[in-house]
Amino acid sequence: MNALRRHRKLEAIWSSEPGWKGWTSSVNHSDLGRMFLFTAFFFFFVGGVLAMLIRAQLATPDSAFVDAGAFSQFFTMHGTIMMFLFAIPAFEGLAIYLLPKMLGTRDLAFPRLTAYGYWCYAFGGSMLLVAMLFGIAPDGGWFMYPPLTGPLHSPGINTDFWLIGITFVEISAICAAVEFTVSILKYRAPGMSLDKMPIFAWYALVTSLMILTGFPPLILGSVLLEVERAFGLPFFQADLGGDSLLWQHLFWLFGHPEVYIIFLPAAGIISTVIPVMARTTLLGYGWIVASAVALAFLSFGLWVHHMFTTGIPHMGLAFFSAASTLVAVPTGVQVFAWIGTLWKGRPELHMPMLHILGFFVTFVIGGLTGVMVAVVPFDWQAHDTAFITAHLHYVLFGGFVFPMLAGIYYWLPLLSGRKRLFRLGELAFALIFVGFHGTFMAMHWVGLMGQRRRIETYDADTGWGVINFISSVSSFVMAIGLAMVLVDIIIHAFVAMRGRRNPWQAGTLEWASMSPPPSYNFASLPEIRNRDPFAGDPDLPNRLAKGEGYLGEPKAGRRETLMVDIATGRPEAVVVYPGNTRLPILMAAVTGAFFLSILLKLFWITPLALAGVAALALVWVWQLGSRTDQGAQDAGRGVTLPLASETDRSPGWWGSTFLLVANATFFGSLLFGYAFLWTVAPGWPPAEWLDPSWAELGLGIGAALVGSIALRVGTRRNRNGTSPQLALVPALLATVVTVIVFALLLFRLPPPDGHAYAATLFILGAYGLAHALLVGLMQGFLILQVRRGFTSARRQSGFSVVGLWSDYLCAITVLSLLAAHLPGMAL
Amino acid sequence: MKNLLRILFPLLVWLASFSAIYALHGLGCALGWSNVALPGMSLFRWLLLVSWLIALLAQGAMLMALRSRRFRSHDTFIHRTSLATSCAGLISTLWTLLPVAVSGPCG
Repeated sequence: MNALRRHRKLEAIWSSEPGWKGWTSSVNHSDLGRMFLFTAFFFFFVGGVLAMLIRAQLATPDSAFVDAGAFSQFFTMHGTIMMFLFAIPAFEGLAIYLLPKMLGTRDLAFPRLTAYGYWCYAFGGSMLLVAMLFGIAPDGGWFMYPPLTGPLHSPGINTDFWLIGITFVEISAICAAVEFTVSILKYRAPGMSLDKMPIFAWYALVTSLMILTGFPPLILGSVLLEVERAFGLPFFQADLGGDSLLWQHLFWLFGHPEVYIIFLPAAGIISTVIPVMARTTLLGYGWIVASAVALAFLSFGLWVHHMFTTGIPHMGLAFFSAASTLVAVPTGVQVFAWIGTLWKGRPELHMPMLHILGFFVTFVIGGLTGVMVAVVPFDWQAHDTAFITAHLHYVLFGGFVFPMLAGIYYWLPLLSGRKRLFRLGELAFALIFVGFHGTFMAMHWVGLMGQRRRIETYDADTGWGVINFISSVSSFVMAIGLAMVLVDIIIHAFVAMRGRRNPWQAGTLEWASMSPPPSYNFASLPEIRNRDPFAGDPDLPNRLAKGEGYLGEPKAGRRETLMVDIATGRPEAVVVYPGNTRLPILMAAVTGAFFLSILLKLFWITPLALAGVAALALVWVWQLGSRTDQGAQDAGRGVTLPLASETDRSPGWWGSTFLLVANATFFGSLLFGYAFLWTVAPGWPPAEWLDPSWAELGLGIGAALVGSIALRVGTRRNRNGTSPQLALVPALLATVVTVIVFALLLFRLPPPDGHAYAATLFILGAYGLAHALLVGLMQGFLILQVRRGFTSARRQSGFSVVGLWSDYLCAITVLSLLAAHLPGMAL
Repeated sequence: MKNLLRILFPLLVWLASFSAIYALHGLGCALGWSNVALPGMSLFRWLLLVSWLIALLAQGAMLMALRSRRFRSHDTFIHRTSLATSCAGLISTLWTLLPVAVSGPCG
């Protein structure tokens, strides 16, 4: 088969439907990456317009441009859009588009999940936009502190839009994080061991693990606040045993890692672009990996530095002050590694490099003011002033927007296959750089003079007028610069001439595919021997096009790629992907119906929507099944491998493992909230405890253990070729008992709207009940699969996935029931 | 997976010990342990210092283990990176928990 024929066959297998229909049914990572990026930059535009309105209002004293209510919606939506609807999705879009190409594979691990994540993001973001158009947008600030956002002080629907819309959008982030983690660890080109991974993949891996452990506390906080608002369960009301500080802990447990979740992908772009621009290799690859890991962990020990003024004891403040200063060290290691890379190379000042230089100046200033506010006495003075607003913009614009713009200009020739025509970008950069520093340097100054953040106006005699005017004019200069970038990209996409492959002479694999890349990325998968496989091997694309790599022979309409060993990159299995489908958009729509039913208080729709999601999930899994063993598969180059679905560590097992990491973090945050309220909140102990029951405790723990053990026995029987039904049915019965025990717990609790104790146990019980029902559904589904012949000793992946969830149910049942019953026994 | 855990584990231990000592600090202040006097210092200070020492010993043990033949990775890159994160964990434990020795506990 010649290269052209192979290309046509692969395109027929991998391409999306033509026209707009393709948008709704595509599961291809290149399509979805572009859709993510386009949507994220649309939201960046909306957030930017809001920023201009804010600056127009503050340009002069005693301004009557907008009233206080509208201004509150503007700054809340500006922060919310930029953090949740631009920064994270822009990283997701870039990584979705680039990672498979950089890793030398054909798609991400779960293509339908990519599409589902996109549609959750698009629908959730649209909810917030609709709220803004109707003038009922969230208005409590992007971090939504209760009691301001509680039912007493914000009775309207504005806050609910934030809590429900953002939770909906966060599904997308969790989906992407699971996707990236599994893809980076298991879906690489053969031979790409961990030390040969592109540095961007390391950063994306660390960021994904951070999303999995950073987002669940906020999801929990949003659930608790929404439940308090909708049903009156008092988690944050001090008179009923709640504490508004719990929200701050949960929010900033997410919020501070979020800063690094935004910065680390940008650092990945910088680490990728700088060596290419400097015509050398990255200095200190290992040190940079270690620094990124250290930064990720340290970022989880900083959250209280946002709460220095809340009256926390001095020693507590000192812990977080120390951690906040320490985090500058791994950041500094990376900055020095980049400077060292420039030093040892021969830097060329191309367009991406301008934005990298903009990053250096801006981010270093933001980092230094960060160290200033890490020092408690200074923070007490600067807290809640415009100085903090300026600091965070230096970090986030400097640490994300400049690197993203560098990345866009760097990868634009890959995306479009064209070369730049006009030199509009250079002028745009100058305007952005000057405008940014004019805006926010002035804001530092006026903050130190005492201007609080989020005020809608100020008196003329404060002396802040001239500085604010400079800041506002500069912000419009920056906006003109950003608009020029947009014009530059549109011109590039539609007018510029065709360019050559790999214009930067980069060594990473994405440049070895065609420009723009075909739907399948690589006609055959390369064997990797060093960190820059394309450098010094210009013939690589031709060999891959000729099918000389792995999986070079297209087979029977199957979308195939390889799974590899995590450490060595040794090929382990052949993966067969599902094709184009509208199931993800349908499932996202039904998920949206669930969230809308809660938002609009149409609670009769809620169970119907949940049933719809469950039914679609079963269809989702059912479509992957097979009634016959496929056996060993020819992977090319004389290698035969099993199908991934016929191994006990299938893609589904890996996905479930990392999803459970996020789930366990959610559960751990709930236990933390319980312990926090118990020890810190006023109004404890409660007037009434749950009447403890040894029988319920024993029955619940016993059933959870039996369920887990029986599932293991079933798995072993299936592997040995004997019928697993004898073990699966008892496992299902044990899960039914677990459901009953959790239902009893909810039924026997003191009224959950009377005290935070009962409210917390209610959520704990509901969480356990939901998981018991979910595991019961999975076990029932597995029994059905066994009966219909979808399993065999070889096709065992369903057992390992359901086993994992059964073990998780066992663990949370034991912990939840102990947390619920033991206090009543001891007191 | 073990190789990845070798890189992640030292800092995971730091995060666990940091969180645990912060929780202990909250609990001790809530229960008034700083008012219980023992020779030299309060019960609370003793508890915090011993906890810090245990955290330091755990980090030290981790560093030794990752250097040992039994637990070290055979992959040079993983070995070096895990030693770097292990040193980062030890330094982080020393610096971020230093306040247990020098700061007033519940003021």
